[in-house]
Amino acid sequence: MKTYGFAVSARFIWTLLAYVFLLAPIAVLIFASFDDASFFRFPPKAYSLRWYEAAVESGEYRSALSVSLLVALLAGFIAVIFGAMAAFSLVRYRPAGGRIVEAILMTPLVLPLIVWAIALLQIYSKLGMSGTLPALVLAHAVITMPFSVRIMVSTFADLDPLLEQAAATLGASPGHVVRRVTLPLAMPGLVSSAAFSVLISFNDVIVSSLIAGARWITFPVRLYAQLRSQGIDPITLAIGSAIVAFILVAALIGEFMFKWSRRL
Amino acid sequence: MNKRALMLLLPALILSGIVFLLPFLWLFVTSFRVQGEGSLLMAEGFSAANYARLVSDSYFAEVFFRTMWMSAAATVISLVIALPMARQIAVSAGRAKGLLLALILVPLVSGALLPTLGMLHLLGPLGVINSILKDFGLTTKSVKFLGTVPGVIIGLVQAFLPLMLLPLVNALSRLPKDVEAAAETLGAPTHIVWRRVILPLVAPGIIAGSVLVFCASLTSFVTPQILGQGKIATFGTMAYQQASLVLDWPFASAVAVVMLAILALGLAVGSLALKLLARRPA
Repeated sequence: MKTYGFAVSARFIWTLLAYVFLLAPIAVLIFASFDDASFFRFPPKAYSLRWYEAAVESGEYRSALSVSLLVALLAGFIAVIFGAMAAFSLVRYRPAGGRIVEAILMTPLVLPLIVWAIALLQIYSKLGMSGTLPALVLAHAVITMPFSVRIMVSTFADLDPLLEQAAATLGASPGHVVRRVTLPLAMPGLVSSAAFSVLISFNDVIVSSLIAGARWITFPVRLYAQLRSQGIDPITLAIGSAIVAFILVAALIGEFMFKWSRRL
Repeated sequence: MNKRALMLLLPALILSGIVFLLPFLWLFVTSFRVQGEGSLLMAEGFSAANYARLVSDSYFAEVFFRTMWMSAAATVISLVIALPMARQIAVSAGRAKGLLLALILVPLVSGALLPTLGMLHLLGPLGVINSILKDFGLTTKSVKFLGTVPGVIIGLVQAFLPLMLLPLVNALSRLPKDVEAAAETLGAPTHIVWRRVILPLVAPGIIAGSVLVFCASLTSFVTPQILGQGKIATFGTMAYQQASLVLDWPFASAVAVVMLAILALGLAVGSLALKLLARRPA
């Protein structure tokens, strides 16, 4: 068993190092946010919460964060409802051409968003819609919908149609079946799609930085503009760390309660 | 198609069709237009001038080859890092497996920007890596990562490693946990088991992950822009620059169409490889 044992421990150490590499940027981001200095230097001379305090007081960032949240919630709402409807149709009715429809709905995952955003920007400006909230929300709904279609297709596929048929046989109306049987059973999938849609939209920078005008600037767009021009404002490290910490908790809950990695 | 099935599909299809697919058609058409002399408005008529400019200018050829080889390098490095990792995750059980999977999801949903922000602090001249290297006396001058090709590749691998891992974990989870131990008992060393048993079985996962990482690297623009400090031009940064700063939309569209063509080629090669694998006798 000698070479096998060696291979196993080598694999274990390799995995550990790979995780360090994968998560190092996020860890450093959080670490740097506690540096008291206004320019990060490793190792920091003093630690403090001053950038967190400044973040809470900054109206500029608060408005960017609320735009991000507003767009993410509206886009997520559209994506989850449309995505769930489409997934239900694909799984339950198996319509002719369903596989093509599913492929079409998945295209935003495969085709490059930067390329698409360049074209959408031109169309929006032709229509006089550029820089408006609906323009931004529609774009975000499109990029998050594939996640909800995919998660809901696997959710409905795991759901036993006999339960719905039983309720119908016992005299429940079709609407009643959906409300009292299908939706409660599909709830873990719906929660997962909503969480994924909101997170993807909230963190998107590629589409937003092209589509968002001067009026609706999301937090990632503000951060990106800043990185390109003035360098790093430590307040953004504090906000970014808070967002990453939130994502970490969400991913743990999502994986342990809802098996996110298998639904994707 | 059943009427109710169609009604349920329609909202999603209309949204995707109009907001997502229509712009690609628009892109294709616009790429054959040109802007009028000294104006942002488009001139009358169609021409292949943008494509001629792309082919004739050596700068764009340079960007093209740089983007291609950087993406290829990021793909190969991701694969090498991910294979043992995916096997480790696949053989883990219960809570450990859940934790390992959740940690892969974190960079995946964090978007492009926040990890890149962390990378700046990791790789910068006064960053964590350089200060550790100096403490150990490995270097006296800061190693330059930012604004260099290796720096951008490091960023691409970190950003897209989860895209390689998920298909690999799915493929490897179907394999019995103790296949290496069994082979060992029968006298086969681990590397033979990998070559003869594990790799052929996960080949579809390897292809899927490679296509995902290659396509994502090819079109990414935040990572090359920020970690490249504007010095490493790629397809993504060039298209973004033409569209949002130079405002030459027809030319940006042509760059985009070329990018799409390369992606289509990549996907075709991937699916061809899958077909060949399926046909080969096991």
